[in-house]
Amino acid sequence: MDPKVPVRDVPRVAWSRAGLLAMILVVLPLGGWEAYWRGQQFRPSTRNSDGLWAEARRWVDRAEPEQTVLLGSSRVLFDIDLDAWEEETGVLPVQLALEGTNPRPVLSGLAEDPDFTGLAIVGVTPVLFIMPEAGYRQAAIERYTTESPSQWLGQRISMPLEQTFAFYNFDTALFAVLHRQTWWRERPGLPFQEREVRKLSNMDRRREADLWSRLDDDPAYAELAKSIWSDFLDHPPPPPPEAEARAQFEAMLEEVRRDIEAIRARGGDVAFVRLPSTGHFREVEAAAFPRERVWEPIVAAAGAVSVHFEDYPELMDVRVPEWSHVSARDKGRFTRDLVRILRDSFRARGTLRPELEP
Amino acid sequence: MLFNSLTFFAFFAVVLALHAMPFPWRVKKVNLLVASYLFYAAWNPPFVVLLWASTFVDWFVARAIYRAEARTRRRSLLLVSILVNLGILGYFKYGGFLLENWSALMAAVGVDWTAPAWDIVLPVGISFYTFQTMAYSLDVYLGRSRPADSFLDFALFVTFFPQLVAGPIVRPTHLIPQFAEPVRASRSQLLWGLALMTLGLFEKIVIADGALAPATEAVYGATEPLVFADAWLGTLAFAGQIFCDFAGYSTVAIGVALCLGFSLPDNFRYPYAAIGFSDFWRRWHISLSTWLRDYLYIPLGGNRKGNGRTYVNLMLTMLLGGLWHGAAWTFVVWGGLHGIYLAVERWVGERFSGARIGGRTWFRILMALLTYVLVNITWVYFRAPDFATAWRLTRSMTGLTTGGAVALSTDYVTRVVVVTIGMLIVHWTMRNRRLEDVVSRTPWWLVAVVWGAMLFAILITQGAGDAFIYFQF
Repeated sequence: MDPKVPVRDVPRVAWSRAGLLAMILVVLPLGGWEAYWRGQQFRPSTRNSDGLWAEARRWVDRAEPEQTVLLGSSRVLFDIDLDAWEEETGVLPVQLALEGTNPRPVLSGLAEDPDFTGLAIVGVTPVLFIMPEAGYRQAAIERYTTESPSQWLGQRISMPLEQTFAFYNFDTALFAVLHRQTWWRERPGLPFQEREVRKLSNMDRRREADLWSRLDDDPAYAELAKSIWSDFLDHPPPPPPEAEARAQFEAMLEEVRRDIEAIRARGGDVAFVRLPSTGHFREVEAAAFPRERVWEPIVAAAGAVSVHFEDYPELMDVRVPEWSHVSARDKGRFTRDLVRILRDSFRARGTLRPELEP
Repeated sequence: MLFNSLTFFAFFAVVLALHAMPFPWRVKKVNLLVASYLFYAAWNPPFVVLLWASTFVDWFVARAIYRAEARTRRRSLLLVSILVNLGILGYFKYGGFLLENWSALMAAVGVDWTAPAWDIVLPVGISFYTFQTMAYSLDVYLGRSRPADSFLDFALFVTFFPQLVAGPIVRPTHLIPQFAEPVRASRSQLLWGLALMTLGLFEKIVIADGALAPATEAVYGATEPLVFADAWLGTLAFAGQIFCDFAGYSTVAIGVALCLGFSLPDNFRYPYAAIGFSDFWRRWHISLSTWLRDYLYIPLGGNRKGNGRTYVNLMLTMLLGGLWHGAAWTFVVWGGLHGIYLAVERWVGERFSGARIGGRTWFRILMALLTYVLVNITWVYFRAPDFATAWRLTRSMTGLTTGGAVALSTDYVTRVVVVTIGMLIVHWTMRNRRLEDVVSRTPWWLVAVVWGAMLFAILITQGAGDAFIYFQF
């Protein structure tokens, strides 16, 4: 038994002086760290965190009935300019695309949400869209339903800091930086490991994400980004057995059909978009997921308005510095063209959508 | 609320400011109580009800036990406390486990019975506060202490936010007397408290989550047999990770309490410098091991009922200690291994206690390393998600696997080796020292340099806000 009140003595140190010097020794190197990253063209940017996505998802709950929600993967996230969209339509869309992630679970969530009666624009990146699960950013989708009050408040405290410090960024975290150094020797016997995707964008609180200007201006960095895409493209996971893949695909089509019917039953609608890719990315996508075997069955099953970039010269006339995302310098024009094409497509089908009308 | 979150820093700044205001002591205690409920509710508000249930039951039960004279009535009242606390714990933590095992048992005897889904969220820190509250009623029953005079003081003892969800598990006699008289941290206590918080957060954010967790995940997430080196490196990584995670939490808790003027007991004393397993358990999660000693091992008879019974009591205590950590048989095996180690140590100690070799430095270092290696074997069963993984890694670590895959990159290997060697040197150097004494002998500017370096490392590591491992227990 140890029944006594514990005694905690304080070391005999000149604590005030020590505390002051410690603060100086934090502030000075931190200033240097911040300056270093700004020198690397980093700017304060809202972190693309799970909490930010959950916040955006809640906007759908609070928005007007005539709302537009953008779903998809990194192409929808980086290629669509929210301001340009708003200028074209008068509606600021809610950006719910998640990089490296299958948008179908988010679409299913909207289908189950009785409050959603608007328009969902769904980006299809074939390799991600046909996955049976959400994938890379699953945690963000879960955060919407499981967020604790503490996490909610933490997100609010974090955002002003994110918009102040360039070093407060996932890509500049100490161990991420160390892990990405080229000095590490390859370990014999270690299976091939894809490198982590480097910084690609800057984001604001609305989740408006611009492709990082360094990809336009620094050819070496663009080449690095392409070589990392090649890691993924040239080392695909083994495909499931043919019968299993076919069953998964059919189940996916059925799920999409069901979700769209649920949204339409409430007066909403869904459109599919396939946004540009170029170079090796486009070659691999075309070979592994031919348009007629993936894209066409999806839009046919959905009976939805669909826009494929290959069908519109104006959507192909953009700079794609790292094969997969539209340059921030072109995204405004690209977005306006996309909105006009979508609007015309709905009009042509006779189902005019107020969310897309000027 | 996690210590390693921005929310906590905002919360703590408000609490500290309120505590420094010239309010009456009772108002300050009410502030701390409300803050503690907010701290808990910030994770999942409805579960505050469990804290209230535990508080009210033990408050009334302990007073009734104290007043009762008939032994039967005292026992019945104690049973109420135990049933309520273990009932809450059992329902939320072990319900699914019991159903799963019942299904397996039925299947084994040929009965086709499927357990209903048990989708119950585990309230964070439930194992800690139920044990802490139960200790209060047990102490009154055993005559070790009298009931608290003030309900406010008792409620604050149950709920005190620095140690509420992951310890140290404090005894009523540790904390309740501290609430009786007004306390306020001196400037040096406040700064030392902040320095301890920095140390704890450095352990958690930089070492546990930043440096070691990726290697642990790579090895324990592997689905194929691994080479000897990687199986060991992944386990060494986990040994460091769990120490820095848990000791880091305790250090922050002690620092937070000190900033408010309260003292919490040590929970870790450089356990990887332990020579033998009884020494290990005097250094690892001290507040749990002493709880199990005082409320389980000794009531079972301890070592007072003969040699055979001592071994049984030892084993039973460690098996239940394992189960306390999690509702899975892997945790029971972890506890069982520690029970076996303690039993073997006792048996060897009885026969060779006078051997001169025991005093030699090289022998002590050898025994410390052997202890560390054997503790690492137990961590496999603590960390592995299932027996298949645990067995696969055990085979790799004992050289029974031929071939095997490589799982760790040079970066991860470097981190594990550097941290493990550094940690063992620190533990061995500090084995018989107190941090306070070492800091007292260090020049103030060097204290500032180390403090500043840790804080800088925390800020640039950023941290992903990962929960502390022991929150799930």
